[in-house]
Order: sequence, then C-alpha cells, then structure tokens
Amino acid sequence: MTEALGLSERLYVRVVKSLPGFSLDVEWSAGEGTAVLFGPSGSGKTLTLQCLAGLVRPDRGRIVVNGRTLFDADAGVHLPPQARRLGYVFQGYALFPHLTVAANVGFGLKHLGRAERESRVAEVIDRLGLADLAGRYPRELSGGQQQRVALGRALAPDPELILLDEPLSALDAPLRRQLRDDLGAILSDWGKAAVLVTHDLSEAYQLATTVVVYQDGRVIQSAAKSELLWQPASEAVARVMGIRNILRGTVVKATPEAIQFRWRGQLLEAVNSPSRSYLPERRSPLAFYIRPEYVRLIRKDRSGPDAAHHMNLMNATVTREADAGTVWSLYLRLEEPGTPAQGDYDLEVEVPKLVYEILDIPRDRHWQISIHRGSIQVLPST
Amino acid sequence: MLSAEAVSALSLSVRVAVVATAVNAAVGIPLAWALARHRFWGRGLLDLLVTLPLVLPPTVTGYYLIVLLGRRGWIGGPLYAATGWSIAFTWYAAIVAATIMAMPLMVRTARAAIESVNRDFEKAAFTLGRSEWQAAIEVTLPLARKGLLAGLVLAFARALGEFGATLMLAGNIPGKTQTVPLAIYTAVQTGESSEALGLVLMLTALSALVLIASARLGSRAQ
Repeated sequence: MTEALGLSERLYVRVVKSLPGFSLDVEWSAGEGTAVLFGPSGSGKTLTLQCLAGLVRPDRGRIVVNGRTLFDADAGVHLPPQARRLGYVFQGYALFPHLTVAANVGFGLKHLGRAERESRVAEVIDRLGLADLAGRYPRELSGGQQQRVALGRALAPDPELILLDEPLSALDAPLRRQLRDDLGAILSDWGKAAVLVTHDLSEAYQLATTVVVYQDGRVIQSAAKSELLWQPASEAVARVMGIRNILRGTVVKATPEAIQFRWRGQLLEAVNSPSRSYLPERRSPLAFYIRPEYVRLIRKDRSGPDAAHHMNLMNATVTREADAGTVWSLYLRLEEPGTPAQGDYDLEVEVPKLVYEILDIPRDRHWQISIHRGSIQVLPST
Repeated sequence: MLSAEAVSALSLSVRVAVVATAVNAAVGIPLAWALARHRFWGRGLLDLLVTLPLVLPPTVTGYYLIVLLGRRGWIGGPLYAATGWSIAFTWYAAIVAATIMAMPLMVRTARAAIESVNRDFEKAAFTLGRSEWQAAIEVTLPLARKGLLAGLVLAFARALGEFGATLMLAGNIPGKTQTVPLAIYTAVQTGESSEALGLVLMLTALSALVLIASARLGSRAQ
C-alpha cells in the first residue's frame, strides 16, 4: 500500500480534478497550525477545500488527515462529507437563516443526547462570547457575530480540521482587520489545525503557519510563512504575492554566498542563499526583486559614505511620486541611457512621510541611491 | 338554493382537488428536488413530460391518458383483462386527470423555489453529518417553504378548475364524475342559467378563499 506517504504529516493533499475549462493538479502537506491557500481568484483554492470536505470528488489523488485516509482514488476510498469530521466555514458563512444561534451551533451535534447536546452548545456559545445571542436569528447579528456563530457551528462537533473559505471577504475593511485578529485568536485558542483560503496577502501573513501559493490550478510554492516572505521560490510566486520591483538582469558570477549580475548598465551584488544552492550560469537571465522600502536615498549633507552600507550605488532621478497614505511612493529613473525597466521608471521606492519632507524631495529630484546586497532577493527560475 | 346535483358536484370537486394536491406534494416535490439538484440520464425527458400538460390542450393530455389508462390502454388494458375493473369513468379518473394537469405548476414552482436556496446551506448540513434527505427536510425545504406553498396553491386551483382532461378520461356522469366545471358547462348547455350562476359563484368564492388563506399562511411563514 501507499499508506506510508503522508502518514507523518498532519495533513496531506494530492488532488487532480478536471472541470470544463479548468484543471486542478496540486500536492501539498502541512503540519500544526494554519495552512493558508493563497492565490488569485479562480486558481483552485476553494475547489481544493471542497475536495477536502468531500463535497467534490477528485478524479485522482489522495487526502490524509491525521493518518486517516479520507480519499484515495487508487484504493477506491471516498468518505462522504458526513463521515469526514471536518468543520467547514463557508464564504458568507451559510448560517441557517431559519434557526437560532443555539440551533445553528448545535446542528452538528444531533448524534448526542439532548442533555449532552445542550451543555456542549452552551459551552461553545459561552466560549465564543455569544451567550446573550443564543435565541437570536442570523439576520439579527452583526458580521462579526455571524463569523463567531459560523466558527462555533463548525467547532462544536470537535472536528479534526477546520476549513475556512475566504472567511473575511464579505466584510468592510476596518471590520475585516478586527475580525482577522479575532479569527486568529479563536483558532489558536481552540488549538485547531485549519486550512484557510484567501486572496488577501495580509490575511495570509497574519494567519498562516504554512502558505501554499496557488496559480491556475497548480501549487507554485508551499513553504513556512517566514520562508515564503524572504524566499519566494520563483518569479511567478513573487508576482502572485504582489511584490513590486520584480526585475531581470544578467548573471556575471554566482557563488553560494553571492550573485553578481548586470542590470541597466549597473553591476549589482545580491546575497545568495547557501541553503538553496542556486548557481545560475554566467550570462544567464536572472529575476530578482528589490523591496521599495529597502532602497536608501543617500543624504547629501553627510560626508564620508559608509562602505558597508553604501553598496550597489546608483544615480537616479525622481520622475513622479504618489501619496500612499503613511508613505510616499517615489518612481525613480536611473541616470542611464536605454529604456527604463518598468515603463517610465526603473525602481519604485517607498519613503516615510517625514523623510520625504526632511529630504525636501519635491524640490530635490536627483539622488544617489544604494541597496544593501541583503535586500536584493534573487528569484530562481523554474 | 343549489340542487342536489350541484352539491354533489361541489363535494366531488373539492375531494378531487384535495387528493390531487396531496399527490402533487408527495410526488411533485421530490420530482422538483431531483430536477433542481441532480443531473441524471433522462432528466431532460422527464422535465419535458412533466411540463407538457401545461402547454398542450387539456383534451390532448386527456387523450393520452385514455391511451394509457383506458379500457384498451397500455396499462388500463391488461388491468381490465386481469380484474375486470377500469379507472375510466370513475372518480379516480378525475383525480388522475386533475393531478397530471396540476403537476407542471407544482413542479415548476417548487423547482424554482428549491433552486433559489443557496446550495451552501445543504453543503453545510452535509459537513455537519446530515444526509441529502435530512438536509432537504431540515434545511432546504423549510427555506423554500413560501415557494412550495405557492406551488400547492396553484396546483389546488388548477385541480379545482380542471375540465378538458377530466371530461376525456372520467366523463361527465352526474353524481359520479361530474365536477363543478363540468356541471357548469352542462347547466349552461341545458339552459339552467340560475344553476350555472350558483355554481360559478360558489367556485369563485372557493378559489378566492384559497388565495386569501394561502396569503395568510405565506405571511406567517415569513
């Protein structure tokens, strides 16, 4: 049997499903905590969740939760959703509108005796701070209260895993932020492993232990959150994550410690990751990105440049800027001949508002900039 | 005011409509469920068969019923040969005719009501341990109740007013298969205009009563 594979994982998912005009073909696994399926709309995240829950039957693959095989195409195993013991929080919550909060929470406890059911409902409702609302109907609740009831309904039968489909997408921005904190607190408080689907990067960052990045029905990276943040596996991942200043240069020299490359007439150096052992050949194309907040503008009123910090020096002109709330986004063009890398500019740079005013950027347009070699992230080509 | 014949026609009409509505609830709702929630072989044909009586002239539907259930029909023939009994020209035939004629209204209304219920509610019920049958009883049908009620009211009204198919299969036998619409027709044909008027008023009042009652029920069910 192929049982051994996946047994060590808390959750193993291998799903192939063909639909008209879309095909899903993914494999990933996750341990403790929350696995976030992140990616643009229509990339197959919800379909994966429905396969996990048994609401959709995959064509091929295998799904194992805590050593229990829920689906195995080869072995002909396909547990119905009723037997999977997974909690599902639907997009928009799908609370039963004709039932009270208490009846919604108790819906999955039909197998228990009346007394036991009532005490469990009371316990769950109390723990989620819903005690005063037990007799209300879903339409009488706020968005935040509805989310709690949906979580309570899914958690009450003590599922092995809780599945959340875009739990915050129906809410307004300020409420969304607050409920994100709420949701994170409830998940860790109940100690439930979870799989959460979202297309919102900040949601993924805050709630994830593991991030599985989806694109067009494929997984393009599956990694611990910290690893994903600093080492996107490819240019595709970086683009899906909405990373700015994704650029392309030409390799000059690559060692396990550093990669030197040429970009827009400049010789730049970036830290390589020995663990990744990515050693592209000389003259091969190289994708990399520079976070806008990590580009330094060098002050002209201070002499004696510090060599350790002022590496990857370039001269640039501010072509335009945009007020981005707490920061200014500056669009810089290198003082080099040739076409700018990103339309009418080469680099997007973010500076705090205070810095923008101190440096008097509205008047002073020519700057020397530097980028620490640790702040240039190389994206391995796949 | 009303003759004995009129009273018996009225009582027959009500009995026929009640039974036809009950059969529509028992058969039409599951049929609507199957059409709304499942894809299966022959689904399109089933949909067509159920809907046809809505668009065919009632006499054509009645003709088909004779071909099927008459003394020499596909089903009625063997049945008559075996038992010596035929449904034709009995009050059961009036029930069958009324049921078939009312079915499209019941099924189409119920189907639309079921389809309007977000499937996430059922899926949620599945993940919480309910079978499809249980999810339908506990979640979907209660949420579709206004539409289901509307379907039942339409079916009852249609059954109460059935004329053509009933005439074909059940005939027009006073005291036996003569429903109110048939009695009205007969009364007009034979020049008993006061009898006709009485029946017309009775049927109008009955129909209005059903509509008012259903509106009350509908607003309470909200």
